[in-house]
Amino acid sequence: MSNHITEWLNAYLDGELKNGRLHQVEAHLAECRECQSELDSLQSLSNLLHAEPAPEFISTERFAAQVNLRLPHTSPVESKRSALEFGWWMIPVSLLLLWIFLGTFSVVSRVVATANDLGLLRGVPAWLVPNSSQQAEWSGTLEEFGLLNGNNLGWAEFTETFTRNRLPQVIWQVSIALVYLSWMALLWVRHSSRKNGQLLES
Amino acid sequence: MTIGSEIVERELVLKAQKGDRNAFNDLVRTHATGVMNVVFRMCGDTQVAEDAAQETFIRAWSNLGSFRVDASLRNWLYRIALNIATDMLRKEKRILPGDLEDFYLPDPQLGPEGTYIQTEQTALVQKAISSLPEASRAVLVLKEYGELSYREIADALDIPIGTVMSRLNYARRLLKESLQEHMLVLMEAEHV
Repeated sequence: MSNHITEWLNAYLDGELKNGRLHQVEAHLAECRECQSELDSLQSLSNLLHAEPAPEFISTERFAAQVNLRLPHTSPVESKRSALEFGWWMIPVSLLLLWIFLGTFSVVSRVVATANDLGLLRGVPAWLVPNSSQQAEWSGTLEEFGLLNGNNLGWAEFTETFTRNRLPQVIWQVSIALVYLSWMALLWVRHSSRKNGQLLES
Repeated sequence: MTIGSEIVERELVLKAQKGDRNAFNDLVRTHATGVMNVVFRMCGDTQVAEDAAQETFIRAWSNLGSFRVDASLRNWLYRIALNIATDMLRKEKRILPGDLEDFYLPDPQLGPEGTYIQTEQTALVQKAISSLPEASRAVLVLKEYGELSYREIADALDIPIGTVMSRLNYARRLLKESLQEHMLVLMEAEHV
């Protein structure tokens, strides 16, 4: 007899075959001694595996008590959630602190620059005082990009002052505002989804 | 598992997910033996099996938040247990059941000679299982001792059903070759 069905015998033995395949295997087994013998040997193997006595484990009660002792005291699900929640609310706090820090830094640097212009900062460390060579470099850069061209000296002065003093402030304030608005949008989405979840549960 | 016990288990899981340690303790008691047995068949050492089973439940507690209550807890635990057992075996290289006689309860009705034969046979069978390739061994253990269906094994090990079938066929073929002698004795005994 050809076309043996040995590859299906394990599945047949385990009761995993259905409908057409099951009938095909049963019909084949009724006629094929070779496959029937193979099935018998698989059955014997299964019997041998299940004839093994169960090992002597620690009692279930004692095992459960040992596991209980080793469990973390707080629910990890809750602690993970509260850590995430803490991180979530730290975002606006961090943004506020960053805004205060940069604002203070900006005011202080302007005060220092003014004091320097008035000649009040003699004997102060050099890093505190705006460097005139840095200012000259900045002016050179603007000139390279053609931003200081033209006959209007007032416009050139405004451009230089604005790009050196105001533009960085505008950039960081807009960046912080954008991050904060994104956080607000996510907060709104979270609240909306929570409300929907409660509606589904009720 | 009956429908009633499934509902009870689902309620226990929901409570445990909220941090109820007593509910989790009940789940541990329900599944402890099954998990220890599966790990033992995987590694052949009761001490490793108990350690791996404890680690399984601790990891399960830590990850219970990600467990879907409509899924099978037993299959999920078996999956964790097999991963832990495999890691432990790789680290400790403690596999062969050299001291198996210390761990089995021999049948008192067998007498001294029968007990000796049974213990020897047990050791040989476990040695044959332990010498299977890891991937095939995991499938065989889940089928024979975890009593999972092919679909459940596929889900637990995250492999296709076709792979479950081929690994099981391969594992049984290897076992038949290594345990042929004992199977013949068993077959003769069955026919007497």
